[in-house]
Amino acid sequence: MDTLIFEVGLAIALIAVVGVFSTKLRFSVIPFYILVGMVVGPHAPHFGIIDLRFIESSVFIDFMGRLGVLFLLFYLGLEFSVGRLIKSGKSIVIGGSFYVAINFVSGLLLGWMMGFPLKETMVICGIMTSSSTAIVAKVLVDLKRTANPETEVIMGMIMFDDLFIAVHISLLSGLVLSGATSWTGVLFTSLTALVFILLFIVVGRRLMPWIDKALNVRSTELFLLLVIASLFLVSGFSETLHVAEAIGALLIGLVLAESVHAKRIEQLVLPFRDLFGAMFFFSFGLTIDPTSLGGAVWVAVVGVLLTIVANLLSGVFAGRASGVSAKSSVNIGFTLVSRGEFSIIMANIGKEGNLMPAVQSFAVLYVLILAVIGPLLTKESKTIYGLFQKVTGRVQARE
Amino acid sequence: MNIGETDLPGIGRKFEVSARSGDQMVIIIHDDGRRELYRKNPDDPDESISIATFDDDEARHLAGIIGGMTYKPKALETIEVALDDLVIEWFKLESDARCIGNTIGNLKVREMTGATIIAVIDKGHQKHLIPGPDFPLVAGSTLIAAGERAQLKMLKMYLRKGL
Repeated sequence: MDTLIFEVGLAIALIAVVGVFSTKLRFSVIPFYILVGMVVGPHAPHFGIIDLRFIESSVFIDFMGRLGVLFLLFYLGLEFSVGRLIKSGKSIVIGGSFYVAINFVSGLLLGWMMGFPLKETMVICGIMTSSSTAIVAKVLVDLKRTANPETEVIMGMIMFDDLFIAVHISLLSGLVLSGATSWTGVLFTSLTALVFILLFIVVGRRLMPWIDKALNVRSTELFLLLVIASLFLVSGFSETLHVAEAIGALLIGLVLAESVHAKRIEQLVLPFRDLFGAMFFFSFGLTIDPTSLGGAVWVAVVGVLLTIVANLLSGVFAGRASGVSAKSSVNIGFTLVSRGEFSIIMANIGKEGNLMPAVQSFAVLYVLILAVIGPLLTKESKTIYGLFQKVTGRVQARE
Repeated sequence: MNIGETDLPGIGRKFEVSARSGDQMVIIIHDDGRRELYRKNPDDPDESISIATFDDDEARHLAGIIGGMTYKPKALETIEVALDDLVIEWFKLESDARCIGNTIGNLKVREMTGATIIAVIDKGHQKHLIPGPDFPLVAGSTLIAAGERAQLKMLKMYLRKGL
């Protein structure tokens, strides 16, 4: 046990090193965190005191990763606001629903083609429907596209997508985590989850004046303690009701987003999200045996292709609904292709529910490919659109 | 001038500015404090061209320059800020003003006009807050004075031409 801190330090150092490396390469850091976890997993070599297999510390790294999910979703809840979504306009709701629907269907299609059972297919649908807010926002900023007209459409659609993910996770946690076997059992737990969520939000809104007053403390230390205590208590309590703790974290985030202290909470929580979030991706990588990935290659490739097509379609549709040009619509589609944090969270739910490990292997490869290809497609969307125009022009000329 | 505001969730907030001159500009304020300036690409209305990116402190500095806080253009030499009846005004002392070379105390500025000189910025951008009675008025320096509108008018007359 005496090398525990050293092992955790090594893990963080590894994460930091690949983080620096991937920023140098201008790639998203998320797949690199997973990769390094996979590489040093339980099969890696060890030399004396430097044991990279993280055996003693695995429980702790696992726990930190679990906290990572809580913080990721808590932050998502804080950032999310229904008012904002409504304000972004009808076109976004239409485009967003279409986006979610078509990607969900592509998940169903993939699950059916691979002959996966219902639970696995539902998790795959979640993996394939959740666009990566972090990657997309970063790519748009890097490419200096934030001022473009389609960017508001893209970010609005991602917000809609986030809302869907929240609902999907809550339904999934009923389906996958409760251990219910009969349809009625599943329905019952899913319904309890939904009722709990709605009740929580309604009651939370009612209690807002009290929450504001309770959080009205000058001391940063006390403020932090109050926020983290409510985060852990709510997440932990949700778990006892068979509502995934991640959903509990999201809920308390959604409620606190309405507080007058929301900005202060966001700033305070951000470093925790960054640290434990990175640990989450790393610990997810640790659970994956690299040799098991081979079998998932084809599924992942088919999934990637399906996603690209689905995104292009929904991009064109959403672009038309919000009245941007054809070229910008292609931009929308390609930008939304990136997958990352939420797909991994979905896969993690599958892992907790003891689903087929193939789902995890699929998620890893799928996210790896799309986290790398997504930003590239976004960058080259103009060129691709130009090529596409040339080809269709030629076809039309021939006709 | 028309300004349109849009939320960019996850990124920040977007301001679309169209000026009377017909020029258009987009300003993005990132959640992390960065500000970006864009202009529309004349050849492609879907594309915005990045002009510049500023960190928070740089953006504030820039805002000061645009706002005329660091350098007052000629036309704005009598810039004023009104707080109800009280007006604060900036104006420059030309070299032919009668008061040049005299001190504030000698001129009995407050007794004669009712306005108060609250600060002087001399030619070398040196600031003198609340200059005392023995502070000499030098050509080319900018005076910042407070008072009611009529008093300030009197002050300017008095300093320029005497009574």
